[in-house]
Amino acid sequence: MLDVFTLFLFNIIVYNIPLLYGTTGEIMIEKSGSLNLGVEGTMAIGAVVGYLAGAKTDSLLVACLVSFIASGLVGALFSFLTVTLQANQNVTGLTITTFGVAFYYFIGNALSNSAGGWPKLNGTAFDMQSQPIHIPFISDIPFVGKALFSHGILVYVGILIAVLMWFYFNKTVPGLKLRAIGENPAAADSLGVNVTLYKYTHIIIGSGIMGLGGLYMGLNLGGAFEGSNCWINGYGWISIALVIFANWSPAKALLGTLIFGFFNTLRVQNAALAYAFPDALGWLTKIPSHFFSALPFIITLIVLIISSLTSKGRSGEPQAIGRNYYREDR
Amino acid sequence: MRKYHLVRRADAQFKRTLIYYAIGILVSLTIGAVILAALGINPFEYYGRMFSIGLIGNRYGYKSIEGLLKIFVPLLITSLALSLSFKMRFWNIGGEGEFLIGAIAASIVAFNCSGLPNFVTVLLMCLAAMISSGIIGIAVAALKVKFNTNETLMTLMLNYIMLYVIRYLGETKAEWNFFLEEESERPIFGTFPETAFMGGIPIGPFKLLWSVIFAVLLTVIVYVYLKYTKQGYEISVVGDSSATAKYAGMSVGKIVLRTMFISSALIGLAAAFTVSAAGTISDTITNDVGWTGIIVAWLSKLSIPAVFVTAVLISILQYGCQAAATQYPAIDINYADLLQGLILFSVLVADFAANFRIVRKEDAKNA
Amino acid sequence: MEFAIELKGISKSFGPVAANKNINLSLAKGEILALLGENGSGKTTLMNMLSGIYMPDSGSIFIDGKKVEINSPEDSSKLGIGMVHQHFKLVEKFTALENIRIGIRNEGRLVHGADVRKKIEDTAAKFGFEIDLDKKVANMAVSEKQTLEILKVLCYGAKIIILDEPTAVLTVQEIDRLFAVLRKMREDGHSIIIITHKLNEVMAISDRVAILRHGEYISTVVTKETDEKTLTELMVGRKISLNIDRPIMEKTHPLLEIRDLTVKNDEGAVAIDHINFYIRGGEMLGVAGIAGSGQKELCEAIAGLRKIEEGQMIHEGESIVGMSPKKILEHGISMSFIPEDRLGMGLAPSLSITDNMILKNYNEAKGIFVDRKSARAEAQKVIDRLEVITPSTETPVRRLSGGNVQKVLLGREIKSGPNVLVTAYPVRGLDINSSYTIYNILNEEKKKGVGILFVGEDLDVMLELCDKIMVICHGRLQGVVNSDHTTKEEIGLMMTGTINIVNKEGKTDGIAKDSAFTDEEGKA
Repeated sequence: MLDVFTLFLFNIIVYNIPLLYGTTGEIMIEKSGSLNLGVEGTMAIGAVVGYLAGAKTDSLLVACLVSFIASGLVGALFSFLTVTLQANQNVTGLTITTFGVAFYYFIGNALSNSAGGWPKLNGTAFDMQSQPIHIPFISDIPFVGKALFSHGILVYVGILIAVLMWFYFNKTVPGLKLRAIGENPAAADSLGVNVTLYKYTHIIIGSGIMGLGGLYMGLNLGGAFEGSNCWINGYGWISIALVIFANWSPAKALLGTLIFGFFNTLRVQNAALAYAFPDALGWLTKIPSHFFSALPFIITLIVLIISSLTSKGRSGEPQAIGRNYYREDR
Repeated sequence: MRKYHLVRRADAQFKRTLIYYAIGILVSLTIGAVILAALGINPFEYYGRMFSIGLIGNRYGYKSIEGLLKIFVPLLITSLALSLSFKMRFWNIGGEGEFLIGAIAASIVAFNCSGLPNFVTVLLMCLAAMISSGIIGIAVAALKVKFNTNETLMTLMLNYIMLYVIRYLGETKAEWNFFLEEESERPIFGTFPETAFMGGIPIGPFKLLWSVIFAVLLTVIVYVYLKYTKQGYEISVVGDSSATAKYAGMSVGKIVLRTMFISSALIGLAAAFTVSAAGTISDTITNDVGWTGIIVAWLSKLSIPAVFVTAVLISILQYGCQAAATQYPAIDINYADLLQGLILFSVLVADFAANFRIVRKEDAKNA
Repeated sequence: MEFAIELKGISKSFGPVAANKNINLSLAKGEILALLGENGSGKTTLMNMLSGIYMPDSGSIFIDGKKVEINSPEDSSKLGIGMVHQHFKLVEKFTALENIRIGIRNEGRLVHGADVRKKIEDTAAKFGFEIDLDKKVANMAVSEKQTLEILKVLCYGAKIIILDEPTAVLTVQEIDRLFAVLRKMREDGHSIIIITHKLNEVMAISDRVAILRHGEYISTVVTKETDEKTLTELMVGRKISLNIDRPIMEKTHPLLEIRDLTVKNDEGAVAIDHINFYIRGGEMLGVAGIAGSGQKELCEAIAGLRKIEEGQMIHEGESIVGMSPKKILEHGISMSFIPEDRLGMGLAPSLSITDNMILKNYNEAKGIFVDRKSARAEAQKVIDRLEVITPSTETPVRRLSGGNVQKVLLGREIKSGPNVLVTAYPVRGLDINSSYTIYNILNEEKKKGVGILFVGEDLDVMLELCDKIMVICHGRLQGVVNSDHTTKEEIGLMMTGTINIVNKEGKTDGIAKDSAFTDEEGKA
């Protein structure tokens, strides 16, 4: 009986950690005052390029590095267009999504139709679920150990990124400067903070983090390319929603990932739960799975509206978000 | 020390902008050609096929035109609608969601009013779609006006909520669900009764749908509306400076609500046209017009004649890719999206080059 | 004398307008120098060149005797210059500590690391600041924000500190406290430049006073050897004859009467404080005052754009309080305000001249269409009559030069035939010829019997152009004087709050004898 629960908890984490990557990456970008709607596309590019590099070299590390760099380059493009050329952030971001997802399918189709076919992964170096990191004692705790502490390395890297980012924003001076830019770029500029440099760096790093999330999704799905289903499958958009839900805090993003992941898992496993506990949870099958899919967006919409009704002071939303900064405008 | 300095050009010449844009598009097509060549495809032949949208040497050429128009009509109307709200600097990126609401509303009418004459049914479908999409537009605008809720994020959430609503309708077998084919075991969307199909003027084997004629007419109407009417004038003042609009005694909130209603209602209309022309509804019925429309509006710099031309070009790009796929199976419709992205990126650069110039610091002082 | 700063031959122009002309100025080490000048005399521009926001067109800057170049705020800060801007540059969501921390160099990478807090606290204690370092700026009062700004530059090790109108937002007690801090800073060897308009403050705090007028350096005097009267004379200069016409008209009944008007500014502070005045038909009433004395709020209140706290506004016997801007327009009151950026209010910059012509009356056309044909004709008329230089009536206003923009704005305001014309800074930044064109236009209107409220900057102009001048200081009425029976010096002293002649000599200033108010209303 416990197995159902263990698996449930296990799945919450293993299938939803990419959300954490997408969300923390986007938080980093939005904290610099830029709204990047290109998460889905950035993740898609990082996923496919990183995967191909991994399949070629058989090295997870190379796959991660390449994925980070590929998505980082997309971030550099976004920075160049919006920071240097002052282009509209919404339009640029949306185009990155269109472009990135198209890039994913295009490469996938082209390779699938080529002589060699879509490259397959060798061995189990990439199998996130069968290669858990064993943490002595903790992983051995019954029930919880399996559910929470026996995952592949990328799960822990994702959590580590969230923790480090929280530390970076709240405890370090560069993090402070970054937040100052997102709130009031003119004030930061007057104190000698290089606004352009900060924006570029953080947009690129944030995009790179998204790329890792994309790679994780691809690996978790076994790396099989399907012509009609993108690995990312809307997780980029959920990440944007999650940023709002998490009130722009990496720590709350971790919590939010678990909550959104809970609904996500409920959608997939409601039948299993209802079968295991027909009396207590039988009603679960009556709720359409679409409701669970839409729930992250519904919750976020409500959060968005409620937070605009209440005082602005406590909101983590950077005040200068979405507006380009041009020193001579002051 | 910054030696170079960006200066906004005082005179943004139309001709120069056009030339820069042309260069930008050429550059992106060249990048596209390199990609094709890398895959061992002759880019000239491919582009030739793509831009002729499969018309050449095709006995059923009219089918190509019909296919092209099926992409073009919703894209054009959606782009026009989005231009209206963007002109007011209202970031409605909820085209997808508003389209889906309209499609669902029109389908409700189509499935339930089988007794009515064709003209009446289609008209009712359009009205239902426009009103339901329009109401959502007003709701978003009201939250923006009243509480300054971020409209970009609101409309974004709406897109996905609506996507799951339509998937729910399409995948749930139930007594009440009149959207589905009754005979089919597997849930699939049903086909509309004959009376809900868009009519048209037959020209030989080709049928020119009323929706096409109306879409072209609508371009003229929106152009006139924005350029010559009082309401259009109000939109441009509010978009340019809402402080000035208030100073001139305009009630900005009312104008925003009204414009968002019109904008969303038009997207609803595009949806009604689309489902009526297709004779059915599906969760991919939008064909991404809500997203592509944003790119079209932006590429056109919100000028209505340019929106028309750009929508034609993007439709050719998309349909041409589909048409060419029969010959080049390795290259699918995503190539069109890829090119579209490249074109927008290079046009953004071109736009910057047309509006700014780089001068050295010393020159800046002397100037 | 050893100098902290020496400026030699500094000039700076913005387009055709010269903000600073060949300025020489010096700041001795360990002194407080007051920089005095009317609005638009170029004080802030000059100081912004020291803080790295602007670069001079010509001239040189010496810090501690060495020639330097200041290209950015960073350069300025490295040279030990700190500026407290009039508009605070603070991040609202951050605490005081975090705001200070952004600019502290070489203290590790952690916000609370090293002994940052201790250092800040020490600096605060040394100069007698009372500040809660963990309070968020959003929750701070104005004076606290200013304290924070000053503490900020001190923590960055600035030896030269520039304060741009620091007292404008403070209460009397807060000003005393600020001055105590400034004196302590001086004792500690800091050199200070303080920009202020208030002569009593200049006398109280400064060692020397440097005076600018119309972008030019006039002189520097030792505070102990001067008095308020001399300073006023230096600041406003001797009267210059400009030969502006002032047609004398038969004055009619009071068109617009303002009684006991109180208005708050955006920050919620009182901007206009129980003011009384009236305008008759065929009369031009000048409004003189130091910048930021409530002019903007007064104009906006009359136009219905700003809520009033108290008082009454009567136009031709009918109260306009609470009316919408549109209703007030229809009543015949037109307001035009040229803000400092010249485009902010009253015009839609991306729209054509034609479209801007109909901004206020586009709704009068019949049917659903905008009447562009007559708009174009009107635009052409304005272009011809006011000699607007433009390629066509369809040119976006943004592309016109400053003077032409203002002509378009004023042309639109008078074409609707208002009977009260409120115009603020209509010649701001204009060259002489354009200015005279504007004066002529206003005089034409006056001849038609229009009552004009002219909010201006240049006293010489106002003395010649206006029939009467009302002087305000910090939102309070200092008196209404007849242009023929006053002097520039008297107005200057009223502007700086040195003298107040309201209700002196048996007059009740600002209340018309034939007022439309009944007595009860007047008392209420």
